[in-house]
Amino acid sequence: MSAPIMDPRIAPPFPAAALPILQNAQLRKNVAHATDVIQAKRNFLVSEKRDWQQLRTAAAAIRAHSLANLGTYLEQFEGRCTAAGGTVHWARDAAEARSIIIAILREENATEVIKIKTMTSAEIQLNPALEAAGIHAIETDLAELILQLGEDEGSHIVVPALHVNRRQVREIFARRMDLPELADDPEALTAAARAYLRRKFLSVPTAISGANFLIAENGSVAIVESEGNGRMCLTLPRTLITLAGIEKVVPRFQDLEVLLQVLARSATGERMNPYTSLWSGVTPGDGPQRFHVVLLDNGRSEILGRKVERQTLQCIRCAACLNTCPVYRQTGGHAYGSPYAGPIGAILTPQLEHMQHGQSLPYASSLCGACYEVCPVKINIPEVLIELRAQVVNQERAQAARWFDPMFLGMKAANFAFAGAGRFRIAQKLGRLGLRFFTGKDGWIHRLPSIGGRWTISRDLRAFPDQSFREWWSARETDRSKETK
Amino acid sequence: MTDTSARHAILERIQNATRSDQNVYAALPRDYVQRGSLDARGRQELMMERLREYGANVVECPAGDVQATIAHQLRLSGRHVFVVPPDLPGDWLVDGFSWKVDNHLSYEEIEQCEGVVTGASAGIADSGTIVLHHKETEGRRVISLLPDFHLCILGASQIVETLPEYFARCPEPPSLATLISGPSATADIEMTRIKGVHGPRFLSVIIARENG
Amino acid sequence: MRASLFITCYNDTLFPETGRAVVRILERLGVEIDFLPAQTCCGQMHANTGFRAEAFSQAKRFVQLYRDTECVVIPSTSCVAMIRDQYSGLFEELGNEDLRKHFAALLPRVYELSEFLTDKLNVEDVGAYFPHRVTYHASCHGLRGLHVGDRPFRLLSKVRGLELVPLANLERCCGFGGTFSVKNAEVSTAMLEAKLGDLLATGAEYCTALDNSCLMHLGGALHRQNRKLETIHLAGILASTKEQPDGATT
Repeated sequence: MSAPIMDPRIAPPFPAAALPILQNAQLRKNVAHATDVIQAKRNFLVSEKRDWQQLRTAAAAIRAHSLANLGTYLEQFEGRCTAAGGTVHWARDAAEARSIIIAILREENATEVIKIKTMTSAEIQLNPALEAAGIHAIETDLAELILQLGEDEGSHIVVPALHVNRRQVREIFARRMDLPELADDPEALTAAARAYLRRKFLSVPTAISGANFLIAENGSVAIVESEGNGRMCLTLPRTLITLAGIEKVVPRFQDLEVLLQVLARSATGERMNPYTSLWSGVTPGDGPQRFHVVLLDNGRSEILGRKVERQTLQCIRCAACLNTCPVYRQTGGHAYGSPYAGPIGAILTPQLEHMQHGQSLPYASSLCGACYEVCPVKINIPEVLIELRAQVVNQERAQAARWFDPMFLGMKAANFAFAGAGRFRIAQKLGRLGLRFFTGKDGWIHRLPSIGGRWTISRDLRAFPDQSFREWWSARETDRSKETK
Repeated sequence: MTDTSARHAILERIQNATRSDQNVYAALPRDYVQRGSLDARGRQELMMERLREYGANVVECPAGDVQATIAHQLRLSGRHVFVVPPDLPGDWLVDGFSWKVDNHLSYEEIEQCEGVVTGASAGIADSGTIVLHHKETEGRRVISLLPDFHLCILGASQIVETLPEYFARCPEPPSLATLISGPSATADIEMTRIKGVHGPRFLSVIIARENG
Repeated sequence: MRASLFITCYNDTLFPETGRAVVRILERLGVEIDFLPAQTCCGQMHANTGFRAEAFSQAKRFVQLYRDTECVVIPSTSCVAMIRDQYSGLFEELGNEDLRKHFAALLPRVYELSEFLTDKLNVEDVGAYFPHRVTYHASCHGLRGLHVGDRPFRLLSKVRGLELVPLANLERCCGFGGTFSVKNAEVSTAMLEAKLGDLLATGAEYCTALDNSCLMHLGGALHRQNRKLETIHLAGILASTKEQPDGATT
């Protein structure tokens, strides 16, 4: 299977991208299993947490406040981080971020760099740019390692390799680590990864990380993780580069008392993830002595300025929305054609592309609202989806091709029909008449043309009854008035 | 190396996007549980329960018995060579073991050690979390990261119940902090939780009760 | 007590029996029901597909029509959710302060059917008789939008002869989602298959819900697969009595 396309500029639209995955029973089983496991743990801990709703409210308020005052907090972060010995860079877009990072690595004469998993680096397509610059990036998260060695792409924000089973992992490791006798039990596989990566941790002097949170108050960075590769990359190298979206900043250290509680429960169904690391700038004698932060805009400031859409930036990347989404459950992450999948991906990806790409993603949802219910920072994802759909349609309104789009035509026709009761009655009669042609002897329609055909791929449609409700009502009123005469 | 034009451009965009916004930090809703309701004994027992849930080994002792308990736990570990921070209390370096004091040890030297012994800055009972601020009795981060076994001595009075209580106790934000809530783990292969990917696979905690 | 029925565009055209059932139930309970023939659609389909400008006029129409009504009863949770969640925003965007005010005054008088029965009429036993094994499907708009909670269960529990069997994975979407069902037909079908599995496992004879939209999607697949399980709107069950057990289907 060729590597899935995770670049929204070239990825196929969601309905098409989903097709091969819908036929992949193994992958769907893996996705269902993984999301069920996390959700069960999450639900248990949420029911145990008496103040869960109050924490959500506080978390949402802290994130909204951070965004409302983003400039102030970013400047404060920059000042404190710099005073603590860090260097802060600003990148307007992906290209600028890549060139800043490569310039730093070139100054270090780096030929290799160890990486902690960061969605942001996938967003800016960093690894291919590093390779092109002669710098080999080594992923150190087990899942990212599996994907990198297997030349695959992540399908979930928190457990990116959930679509890969143990036999597949064994095959990848045996081949790429030259371990032909490797067993396929998770213990053996993990031990192989541990040994392979330890050599790298102890020898590669430059590391790249993302950030879960940037603390404005003291210019520190917080990273949460489970495996310990984060601590390795943050502690052992000489130089550390942290890439972070500008929306990651929060006002105070104390705000973590809320955010860590909701993040761990939502992301992995734990009260606290195994390791949380915080550091400010450079500490003499402890850890990297050169520290750079690259603050990334790449479309975020534009989202910030939009009333309904701004809440998208509150996201703390827990992936609870993915785990609960009934659409994601069927398609996994690859169908979204972007590092950001699931409900958050459906709203974030097209916006980061300034609504020029990924326009099928806001429609990759049945608007069931399960995501909003679990979001620890109360992002009303359905509300944003509907807003983005309106923008996509407005783009279509400007195109001549719309008159050839059956959905567009259907919507215009329906709107015309709904504009008056007389028209509506006529439309009902015409519909009833028109569908007769397709109606079987049992009073049901089995196949329709055009858009209707999309309905009938799996569902029959009962023919329009001979008498609509309003016709029945009208007849009844007539009968009654006759009776009273 | 900073590009001031990018900085200016981004901050200007942000300013334009947030112009009409004013909401006050102090007024943010904080109706979540701040203080716990357990007494000292209750906190300690919860801490021990959570640590054990995570697969950490935990014992308690009166503060006066710390040395003997350290010796016992280290013997049980089957290990001999331990790295320690320079400011670890001297009488914790019990006889019968090889002690490597971290005076700028190289990574290779730390790798030779079979374990590490440190104190801690706080314990958070709710989640069984050990907090290191990497100050005197905890040492620099690498020594509690590379060895496979970590013995941590935590004072009972250092244990709080809730995460907000830990934050409330910090007089100012620490410049370094590591919050440990059990040995490292991954569930990346078929959601099967495997302990000890990187970082110490074995965590042992001694809770020392100052009041006996 | 007077109530005006907003039948909804799709019930009017595809499921008139649901409207007849509502009329039967409410008249049986002594409610004077009327039907304003000028009604057409609440605008949900357009708003949710991104055709917001078109939804404006439909929303305006609704508010102007029902301005002076005592209360409006709607046998569709998705339409009520549209009105409750989105109308305010639409009128604000339109900048029409009058409309917004009239809507704000109207809103508390708009009820989904199960809400009308339990909250406004304070009734759970509507004198229904439906001697069948039934399972209830929780439409997402009712579940998360309106928080109907246990209202349908309370109503179903009073139906004589009815055996209610619980549905596994109750809170998981059936995959209809309005135009999602055709724009993402294959994914919709995969979600549908999962839901059908749970439905068929109940061994029920009927699947009921507060929304014919979900039931059209589920029922359409059940019919395609020749399954014995039938779908029926809750109103159809509540309208059935010993004397008239047909669920107003005729």
